[in-house]
Amino acid sequence: MAGKIFIAIDRLTSTLDKLSAKIDLWVPAPLQTDKSEPTGFVPYHAGMVPILDRQSTLPPKKILLPQVETLLRFECRKDPQNPLKGSVSLDDKMEVRPALVFGARPCDVKAFLAIDRVFTSGPYVDPYYLERRQNTLFATLICRQADEACFCSSVGCGPADTEGSDFRVIPVDGGYLVDALTEKAQSLFDSPADTPTQDQEVQASQVVEEASNNRVGDLDLEGSAAAFRKRFEDNDYWQEMAAPCLSCAICTHVCPTCYCFTITDEIENLRGERLRSWDSCMFYQYTLEASGHNPRPSKLNRYRNRVGHKFSYMPEKYDGLIGCCGCGRCIRSCPVSMDIRQIVGRLKENAFESE
Amino acid sequence: MIETDTMQLHKLVEEALPELDTMIGWAAGEDPLRTTPVFIRGAKSIPRLILSPFCAQNLTGYLVKPPALKPADKHKKIGICVKGCDSRSLVALIQEKFLTRDSLRIFGIPCRGTVDWRRVMRQVPLRLVRSARVEGNHLIVDDAGGTHKLNLENVLARKCLQCRYPNPVVCDVLVGEAAVSGVTPEDIYRNVDALEKRPLEERLAFWQSELDRCMRCYACRNACPLCVCQDRCIAETRDPKWLTQRMGIPEKFLFHFIHAMHLAGRCTECGECERVCPMEIPVTLMKEKLNKVVEEMLGYVAGLDPAPIPPLLTFNPEETGI
Repeated sequence: MAGKIFIAIDRLTSTLDKLSAKIDLWVPAPLQTDKSEPTGFVPYHAGMVPILDRQSTLPPKKILLPQVETLLRFECRKDPQNPLKGSVSLDDKMEVRPALVFGARPCDVKAFLAIDRVFTSGPYVDPYYLERRQNTLFATLICRQADEACFCSSVGCGPADTEGSDFRVIPVDGGYLVDALTEKAQSLFDSPADTPTQDQEVQASQVVEEASNNRVGDLDLEGSAAAFRKRFEDNDYWQEMAAPCLSCAICTHVCPTCYCFTITDEIENLRGERLRSWDSCMFYQYTLEASGHNPRPSKLNRYRNRVGHKFSYMPEKYDGLIGCCGCGRCIRSCPVSMDIRQIVGRLKENAFESE
Repeated sequence: MIETDTMQLHKLVEEALPELDTMIGWAAGEDPLRTTPVFIRGAKSIPRLILSPFCAQNLTGYLVKPPALKPADKHKKIGICVKGCDSRSLVALIQEKFLTRDSLRIFGIPCRGTVDWRRVMRQVPLRLVRSARVEGNHLIVDDAGGTHKLNLENVLARKCLQCRYPNPVVCDVLVGEAAVSGVTPEDIYRNVDALEKRPLEERLAFWQSELDRCMRCYACRNACPLCVCQDRCIAETRDPKWLTQRMGIPEKFLFHFIHAMHLAGRCTECGECERVCPMEIPVTLMKEKLNKVVEEMLGYVAGLDPAPIPPLLTFNPEETGI
């Protein structure tokens, strides 16, 4: 059985049709069929044409970490004979089906490695995330579309990075060369398929080599984690950096690595659900305590948290792992054109001069 | 002309600086199609200020949204650049007593329309944009793929194509020559009119499908200078609790329509809510519809005159419009 196949452009859809019969398939596509933008990862349906020529507006994060999910359902039953007595039943069954994410980019896939450390490396392991993680394969597209907002090479990723991927999808003339990288991936290739020609293989290795040599972004993070700690109480710095911020929370919503969540009980009468949903450090309610006190009362504190979490707390806690994949979505989507690269970059300036 | 206007602004700000605590304007952004708000506190930073058709942000929100920018010294003022639509937000905020007129030094910017970078990208998927400028009725952009000449009408923000007030309705000084609005009375509510012609079921389906994309990031609310409930928004309060955390259309409907209702007769159609929406939902359209109702029923247009009390903020038993 071959570890590599060639999918001609005009056979992409029929190949995906076949794949989707075996496994739940997610592809980047317009979120609404009658509009070309915005795009995100959607469940594949027969005949669909995935968008592979540009980065999607939204990353595939929600496939492993849904924006809202039911952790458990509960119901309280009262004993009609004795109203003081009652019982509570809990149901935390979850169904996870094997899935394949086709056409995510190296940054999108690498982002999950950061989330993995938080949700699966202990001491507490999140069974909901873990179950989906173990059942999801990634076919990662070698990226040739880096733009001015991209900086994946600065944060330990790169346009040809395949860490965390099960396949790599290499764009070549007339189609894609798909390379199985893991055993799980091999098993999906059991049906006879087109083996790539010698020429295609040569071209694919050129594409990979070119992408590997492409250094995307020039942010130097050496010493940034420590610089953040030193600057933590430099209110002038944070005031200046966060001044244009609208606290609009777009950055955290389009971010492939932001994973903060909140848990709420949604109750109607005697039954309800415990939900986990995305939170955002840009929100006033983030870390708001029951007493009414919030250790991060202003946008200055909250914006600082976003920078510190990704570029200081995570690398210091997880052996240098940066909580950012360099996809540039927060930069591209920011309505006031804030650039996290500048804010992180300037942390190391010796004397910060406020205007 | 843009260059001369920018130079004139630099000169005016320099002159005004002694009486200003902070000057809010626009500076170059992430790429030539975008700008970023800039807060000037010393003469050294004045050269950062720019005026261009890319100065999209309405800066008035910084005066009222926490942490609202207030002069440290009571005798000083906050300087601010406003386009026509932005100036109407200022008027509305003064009307509602969030601001006082004499605490501000207003630099009025006549506006010939702002460029919506998403519409530009829809015309040509640009990469590595080197420069962008408006020449007559065209936007000229240079990027890795060469020079692109785009029709201005196809790249201006939707709100600009129906704007009646391109010149600031309130200001201390006008920078550059006044602009002339080319819109006809039919243009003003043309998007609302087009939607209203469709049957009820279609309109419902339209909003269901648009709001389905909403991520509940609340960027529309947080960018709106007149969304003044601030941290007490019904979308998030836990006591009382109005909305679940679910991502259903009912939750999104409730949030968006309450947002719109709270702005009825107050919204100045600066379009920030729609501009910032990462899901490209035409959220200003809801407010336009309500403004149309208010204008037809009560003959009132928001943000033009600081004197009257907005009709929905008062109760008049003699009201004849209804």
